[in-house]
Amino acid sequence: MLSAENITVDFGVRRVLDRVDFAARAGEVTAIVGPNGSGKTTLLKAITGELKSGGTVWFDGRDIRDMKAAELATRRAVLPQSGNVAFPFTVLELVRLGLTNGCATADPAQLADLPRQALARVGLAGFEARFVQELSGGERQRVQLARVLLQIWEPVLDGAARWLFLDEPVSALDIGHQLVVMQIARDFARAGGGVVAVMHDLNLTSMFADQVSLLDRGAVKSVGSPREVFTDEHLSACYGCALRTNTPPPQGGPWLLPQAAMHVAGTL
Amino acid sequence: MTDAASVNAAPQAVPARHFGDRSARGRTIQAGLALCLGVVMLVSLGWGAASDIDVIAALLAKLGMGSASARDMTIIWDIRMPRMVTGALVGAALAVSGAVMQGLFRNPLADPGLVGVSAGAGLGAVSAIVLGGLLPLGVQAFAGPYLIPFAAFLGGWASTLVLYRIATSGGRTSVATMLLAGIALGALTGAITGFIVYRATDDQLRDLTFWGMGSVAGATWVKLMAAGPIVILTLLTAPFLSRALDALALGEPVAVHLGIDVQRMKRIAVMSVAASVGAAVAITGGIGFVGIVVPHLLRLLQGPVHRMLLPNAALLGAIILLVADMISRTVAAPAELPIGIITATLGGPFFLWILLKNRAILEG
Repeated sequence: MLSAENITVDFGVRRVLDRVDFAARAGEVTAIVGPNGSGKTTLLKAITGELKSGGTVWFDGRDIRDMKAAELATRRAVLPQSGNVAFPFTVLELVRLGLTNGCATADPAQLADLPRQALARVGLAGFEARFVQELSGGERQRVQLARVLLQIWEPVLDGAARWLFLDEPVSALDIGHQLVVMQIARDFARAGGGVVAVMHDLNLTSMFADQVSLLDRGAVKSVGSPREVFTDEHLSACYGCALRTNTPPPQGGPWLLPQAAMHVAGTL
Repeated sequence: MTDAASVNAAPQAVPARHFGDRSARGRTIQAGLALCLGVVMLVSLGWGAASDIDVIAALLAKLGMGSASARDMTIIWDIRMPRMVTGALVGAALAVSGAVMQGLFRNPLADPGLVGVSAGAGLGAVSAIVLGGLLPLGVQAFAGPYLIPFAAFLGGWASTLVLYRIATSGGRTSVATMLLAGIALGALTGAITGFIVYRATDDQLRDLTFWGMGSVAGATWVKLMAAGPIVILTLLTAPFLSRALDALALGEPVAVHLGIDVQRMKRIAVMSVAASVGAAVAITGGIGFVGIVVPHLLRLLQGPVHRMLLPNAALLGAIILLVADMISRTVAAPAELPIGIITATLGGPFFLWILLKNRAILEG
């Protein structure tokens, strides 16, 4: 169980998050959505402890301020939005950085093979010897995902769920790989782990998320299942556009068709 | 038949592939460098003065086996040995400090000289040379040969502390602020150094000039005993930073997510580099470019993973400095060129080459 209370973050005089509450359960994919600048990434950074914030984040009942970086690294892994790599690492060398104490696999032979398994999982088998700098943006993002998955390879460790934090994990990916990555997230949750993902694509969110927090201008506008949160009324107000939610087969969740921008001169 | 034979032969013709894992290659390079360093150390002892046979005889004589002439014993044990050990230690210290700094700044062009550590150490040493005479005679007698090394070490340390205070706020260090503050501090310490040099006498100026160009010729057991242990200690600290430096290549937040105590690791890295460079500058003066050239070459050959990079940088740094020292003894014989001139002549163009090849690093 992950919960955050009264998260408040100021950048200078600007209040980016204002007393936000957030909760996520193990076994579920929880999405954070909202328009640009609504504070999604900031909220994720506050929850992972990367950003200092007013308020408290509880990780299985413990205040994360009481947990050391090394201990946190065994409990959760974080995929940042974008990451440039300073030196010419090969794909395998980079993925291996995920081999932290958190990997908790007794068998050394298996441990040595895990990086390759992680790469295969994200569809990059055979990429081991390539240089990270030479890859496309989408490939690079999946290499980083392999590293992150390796860090918390078993979704449950010693009876406690481990957490996967994803900041816009599909932003650089083609539609096929978007589905692959979201399926990996869902599988991780179904195996007992917890997933929190900042998402832009509302339809993908509708397909894969169990719970959604909708942010707008630094505050939570709505919390619940995609069906509860993704209503014409909520989304039109937050995103400033006219849209209509629909329910196509076979998933049965809301499905969105953007109609028109509302606040741009000349479009209405 | 011919086709089948050539197909079968092809895999043997291709060098062993690393499949993304270059650690085996790193270990091979390490073995080669260790062997090479051993040979260079031995040759360096006898270079220009005694044959290698005499050197081995003198080494054995010291261990109580066989005998050697008193002249050889003096040359090899009292002059050459401290010079060789100093050269090897300083080379290793400069190369490893360079690699650590580059990892810390996530930039292959970072160097201890860049953040003002060398400039601060230089100010300390110059102050000791010019102003040491103003100290009470008792203090002068007590400090003796330790005065310049100690002052250089203090200067390097102090400038790092000031730099750290400026660049760190709320427990976080900004690399950009640190680099810019380093440039400003370097300019300031340089100006003070210039002022002190302006006040120096002619004799002091001569000492200053030779010290400033960098030389291992003045190495003695006494100087080595003062600064050597600090260098060795920091060389032994470096391997513990390997994993943290690797993680830092992905950015500070990622390093934190991977479980690295980044702030603590930065403190250790900065302090060990300051101590090691301060000590090295004290014995030998300014020797540039080893800290940039060595790590860069090794990254090209075996990749950037620090577990292999740091020890191999120590070995290659030692080799390069010893070879540069031998060149400096030979090119203008019987006079000796300061070793800093050799390293700058070789390293300057190399630095420019990296610069032109990696414009993206500077602009990105």
